[in-house]
Amino acid sequence: MARKSWLWGGVALVLGLALGWGLAGPVAVFGQNPVLPGVARSLQPSLSPSPVSDAKLKVFAQALALIEEQYAESKTTKDLVYGAIQGTLGTLDPHSAFMTPEEFRELQIETKGQFSGIGIEIALKDRVLTVVSPIEGTPAYQAGMKPGDQILKINGNPTKNTTLMEAVKMIRGPKGSKVTITINREGFQQPKDIVITREIIPIRSVKARILDDGIGYVRVTHFQDKTENDLQGYLKKMKQRLVPFKGLILDLRNDPGGLLEQAVRVSDEFLKSGLIVYTEGRNRNQNMRFFARAGQEDKVTNVPMVVIINEGSASASEIVAGALKDQKRALIVGVKSFGKGSVQTIIPLEDGSALRLTTALYFTPSGVTINEKGINPDVVVADKPLAADKSLQKLRDELLSQHMRGEGLTDKPWNQPITPEELDKDPQLKKAVELLRNWPPKNLAQQP
Amino acid sequence: MILAALGLAAYFLLPAWAAPPASNYDSLRLYTEALFEVSHKYVWPKEEEDLIYGSLRGMMNSLDPDSSFLTAKEYQDYLLGPPRPSAEAGVDLIVKDGLLTAASVIDGGAAARAGLKPGDHIIKINGQMVRNLTTQEATRRSQGAPNTAVKLQVIRNGEVKPLDLTITLEPLGLSTVTTGYLDNAVAYIRIRYFNNETPGELDSALNNIKQHKPPVKGIILDLRNNARGSMEEAVRSASLFLGNQQILTAKGRSTKTEQSFTGKDRDLIFKTLPPMVVLVDQGTARAAEIIAAALRDQGRATLLGVKTLGLCGLTKAFPLEDGSALMMTVAQCYSPKGDKIPGKGLEPEVPGQKPQAGTEPEKAPAQVKSPEQDPWVQQAKDVLTSGKPKPAPQTGPAS
Repeated sequence: MARKSWLWGGVALVLGLALGWGLAGPVAVFGQNPVLPGVARSLQPSLSPSPVSDAKLKVFAQALALIEEQYAESKTTKDLVYGAIQGTLGTLDPHSAFMTPEEFRELQIETKGQFSGIGIEIALKDRVLTVVSPIEGTPAYQAGMKPGDQILKINGNPTKNTTLMEAVKMIRGPKGSKVTITINREGFQQPKDIVITREIIPIRSVKARILDDGIGYVRVTHFQDKTENDLQGYLKKMKQRLVPFKGLILDLRNDPGGLLEQAVRVSDEFLKSGLIVYTEGRNRNQNMRFFARAGQEDKVTNVPMVVIINEGSASASEIVAGALKDQKRALIVGVKSFGKGSVQTIIPLEDGSALRLTTALYFTPSGVTINEKGINPDVVVADKPLAADKSLQKLRDELLSQHMRGEGLTDKPWNQPITPEELDKDPQLKKAVELLRNWPPKNLAQQP
Repeated sequence: MILAALGLAAYFLLPAWAAPPASNYDSLRLYTEALFEVSHKYVWPKEEEDLIYGSLRGMMNSLDPDSSFLTAKEYQDYLLGPPRPSAEAGVDLIVKDGLLTAASVIDGGAAARAGLKPGDHIIKINGQMVRNLTTQEATRRSQGAPNTAVKLQVIRNGEVKPLDLTITLEPLGLSTVTTGYLDNAVAYIRIRYFNNETPGELDSALNNIKQHKPPVKGIILDLRNNARGSMEEAVRSASLFLGNQQILTAKGRSTKTEQSFTGKDRDLIFKTLPPMVVLVDQGTARAAEIIAAALRDQGRATLLGVKTLGLCGLTKAFPLEDGSALMMTVAQCYSPKGDKIPGKGLEPEVPGQKPQAGTEPEKAPAQVKSPEQDPWVQQAKDVLTSGKPKPAPQTGPAS
């Protein structure tokens, strides 16, 4: 599982919570044209001249034959080839990877922004499969599942010793089909069976709150198909609710990225015109420039804006922060971002597996590469320092229980104003609010 | 075209492939497809040799932690014989979950004193990322002249940030075996690691124990955090306890290669072996695993601790036509009762006490304390003196 979270920052969002090392999994995705994964055309190898000499391939074939003949146990050629492809990708940058068919399907679900299931976030708490939260309005929510419920069985199968991935697989299924979940809850005399009909569940990547003096707060957790749409929804509601709309905070902390196209659309939402990002690859068809659409009335282009980033903001998050910074549209608050300025194309292979391959680098409008550099904030505000004695596991557990009690900033309804106590717990957010309350910032306004 | 080339190559090299099954053919096509995509579309051009060698490395690493790919240079080094470094870090490395990992860290060695712990994942050596490094190559980099400084960056389970350690290489020291007595009644033998001298050292240690007055009530053999040693060293050592009984079977692909190893009667030291407890943990592998399994299966010892690593086999080098080579496991260890050790490990009959709350669970004490302060040693002593020293009924490895 440890390894998985390195590669799959985003999946953890659906399954539970991602922290720390989980951030290395950003996926800015586009194909030959800036579209979805799965659309990238895969050329037929047989149509093009061989890039690799026959002599080298012969060495590979010899090795394969030796293993089949001499290795202590028999291995399928498929397993060996999967190992080989993994090894090939291992010689590339850390963002290129091989995905098994299962991993590829999970990525598609993640980027599509929806799946068919019952609508719960689950995690292993003290090794017991536990509901983190039922998503509002989903079948699980309506069936009365509650945060902290322990899932003992799924369709009669005990969940002891199952991995999170396996459990997720068992709970999900075609729309309209039924799943029986056996849960235990504090106060129950004995475990209860709940039968739930699966439905299409949207994955929300945008959450929001407001402050009572006309400031809006939007948090983007990752960039998937529905991100811009969800963002627009909140912005529309804020425009009606916040009169005057005095300021907007865009929180991109711990957002590992996602679809490049969505990063462009989210940036466009706040820009009147001009360049957002451009990419350069080894092949000319990877060189692209993305501009904001001019003349769109309903965009939020004049409201003072602060973007919060941290070392967990990567890829698509850095595109948005970079564009808004270079165009002087927003002040950037927080700490330097991750620094992942490369674009990965998802290349499906014929057996359902896929490659995630770095095919281009992207640059902010001022021509700066983000790769290994990151976006520097205009106003540096450190995260709350980590208590020295806390292990990653402890930290994760604490966050989890906080989330289960509904105490996270975005666990409350969007129109419930953020309280001063909540601000005190989050120094970066507090600074962002202060800046917007005293807009324009004097010292920074003259910055080149 | 690549397809044809590969198919053809396979055809000539291995007659058994004269008619490869369709699924093999599909898998090979998948490989060439992936290779094509990478060499055409990756943002920075790559040398074809890098890609193919990466494939070979990945394929070998997917087999087991002892199998690996050697470049031509690494193979030449291997042919020169096992390195006889004047100094080393004292760590046994494997690839686990794709990461270079310390399987065991030898007591009193340079790495142990610098703070390296078994299970630590090594991500940098002297500032260089260790991606794609073979264990052979990594081991070579952890050896050298005495007083050479080697910098490691490691990730430790439960720690938020990577740790930086500086190891000053030094010789491992002379003896691999130490002996002591608890309450003048129970003998305690610690084997730090196995080398060619170990069977001899163990021989004298056991002879001393035999002459101890009053006679010992039992022997504790501590094989925790011990992943270094050959099959031969294991057989010679186990023979001291077991005489002419069977120690292990090594099985490969065909039954023809099956080989059974039995000790020698003249090696036997105790006519009646005192009751024994063998301490094992997740750093117990190879020679140590063979001995633990043999003593258990022959009804001579109770295993106490946590499940062992499960890494025990015979490897052999196979040169490839461009001078590189495959290091491959050709046979795996089976205990006398027929339990397979690689990939499974040994499940102790007596679970070692969990450490006190506040420390990581299921982790054996990595730093070897004095036996009197070591909770598992005390637990073993209790087993030996409680009047129920007989091994618990065999339950077999947990599944």
